[in-house]
Amino acid sequence: MSTETASAPVRAAGNAGVKTFGREITFMMIFSAIVLTMPFWITLIGGYQGLATKIMVWAIFAVGFDILLGFTGLLSFGHAAFFGGAAYITGVVFRDYTSEIIVAFLASQVGVMILAVIIGFLSIRRTGIYFSILTLAFASMLFAAALAIFAPFTGGYDGLTMRTTPSLFGMPMQGLSVFYMGAFMLIFGFAVARTLKNSAFGLMLRSIKENPMRLEYTGVNVWAYKMAAFIISAHFAAVAGFLMVVYEPYVATKFLHWSTSGEVVIMSVIGGVGTLLGPIIGAAFLMYFENVVQSFIGEQWKLVLGLIFVLVVIFLPGGFMQLGSMIWKATGQKAFGGAPPPEGPRKHDSERE
Amino acid sequence: MAQVQTAEMETGHRGVAPGAPILEVAGLNKRFGGLQAINNVSLNVAKGSIHAIIGPNGAGKSTFLNCMIGLIEPDTGEVNFEGRSIKGLTPHRIIQRGIARVFQTPQIFPVMSLVDNVTIAALAKRDGEFKFNPIKPLNGANSARQEAEAILEQVGLADQRHGDAEHLSRGDKRRLELAICIAAHAKLLLLDEPTAGMSRHDTNRTIDLLKTISETGMTKVIIEHDMHVVFSLAQRVTVLAQGTVIADGTPEEVRVNPKVKEAYLGGAH
Repeated sequence: MSTETASAPVRAAGNAGVKTFGREITFMMIFSAIVLTMPFWITLIGGYQGLATKIMVWAIFAVGFDILLGFTGLLSFGHAAFFGGAAYITGVVFRDYTSEIIVAFLASQVGVMILAVIIGFLSIRRTGIYFSILTLAFASMLFAAALAIFAPFTGGYDGLTMRTTPSLFGMPMQGLSVFYMGAFMLIFGFAVARTLKNSAFGLMLRSIKENPMRLEYTGVNVWAYKMAAFIISAHFAAVAGFLMVVYEPYVATKFLHWSTSGEVVIMSVIGGVGTLLGPIIGAAFLMYFENVVQSFIGEQWKLVLGLIFVLVVIFLPGGFMQLGSMIWKATGQKAFGGAPPPEGPRKHDSERE
Repeated sequence: MAQVQTAEMETGHRGVAPGAPILEVAGLNKRFGGLQAINNVSLNVAKGSIHAIIGPNGAGKSTFLNCMIGLIEPDTGEVNFEGRSIKGLTPHRIIQRGIARVFQTPQIFPVMSLVDNVTIAALAKRDGEFKFNPIKPLNGANSARQEAEAILEQVGLADQRHGDAEHLSRGDKRRLELAICIAAHAKLLLLDEPTAGMSRHDTNRTIDLLKTISETGMTKVIIEHDMHVVFSLAQRVTVLAQGTVIADGTPEEVRVNPKVKEAYLGGAH
């Protein structure tokens, strides 16, 4: 059926590149506008300025996590190690050395890179559930270590407290300036992740999720690509952990706890694994739910959230992004105006985890 | 006993196959617990030829192929590809040397377009086993993508190239897998029952495609049950039974070999 008919429009791809680039710019501008105005519009729906900053923190974490889970198909349950690790390094720098955030940023990035190389090296030899359990084990070990042998540095169960106001070149960083730093980091990180997704490197990562054996037997060093994805996502988590401490100069032990790893997994699944935009929406939703909706429905909020999670997994395996693309199709693609179509995940994406 | 067979094989080899051997296997052994899966197998594959390995079930054919590709490490013996040993190398290093593998169940990237499927192989050939190039977009202007489009046209899948690979028929999945191997510019292609589970129509189309690929000079080693496939393609046939080589020669020689008849009929009784 496919043999004889030769294809005519093979070479229409040339000027499509320009069009794609234009669409990408439009998309990023709309995204940036929504993100940068968040402190203003979030108060209209019952939020507060600080919540916008928290959303930036978790959105950065979730975007990086999507590079690992969404593209590469590796489910890490140990990313709290990188989030919390960076938070503790940042906290120690602020408390003991300097309030200059550039120093804390670099220190936390270097520290997490070393951590990611070690944990990645030991975990990536195994696949599937064993990989998840290994990452969970390493993160739990780090949590235990922070509370016990590292307690003199970390403050143990009390968390790490400091009296510093973080500063950038001597200017104090508080309130909106922290938000805008976070917003620029998110926009930059999001653009980096989208660029990566469309590159040759991104194709290799996505093919690991599809069929790692075929990839290995096509002459590709699957282990090296997995390792690269793991380290990149760890750096995103480190940026988030760093930002969290700049926002609120206190390091809670919870940052290293496994539930932090779990939270980013929930955000990704609710938003739509592998879509990049989905996990950001998931992060915003979860933060909004935890901080705003909670005050309306009281103690039952965790129950309601659990219910929403279950419903999404059963009926919307592609998360909110799937819902978005369903609405997009139902409304005849008019509701979204000039914006590019939401990239709904292909139908099997989350079912095959 | 084994020595005699090796000698027989080598004399036969000189008579028939043109060109120098691209793959040389000498004294290969592999034991799984109490089972000697491969027993002192030696075999030369001539460059540019189509070489079939046949034999009854459990003869060690698949194990033999897996030893070639690094999936199983042989206990003893030598495997030389283009005069260099490939024993003990990781699979992706062996592939990078120029060997490709077609699996019994077509191994493709299911929820990806056909173009992406083949582009991956073209990139692996162009960029090697690992390259960190996360910035440049992979669009129509990319050389790997253009090559992928051309190869899909060559194997007759051009008009489905933007669809997902999982929706292809069994025969077309096999074509796609072969397209991946072509994009890898393999010098030696190892095929494990390439027509297993296919209709006669799909089988014949696959045979035609394999013949077409042969014109590019790609050497092939085929494991096959289907004698129709073996006798339409192979220039040389090696027969394995219980892990040892019992015959080796042209299809005609093998067809009349009494040991081969015994091995196949013996299994039926």
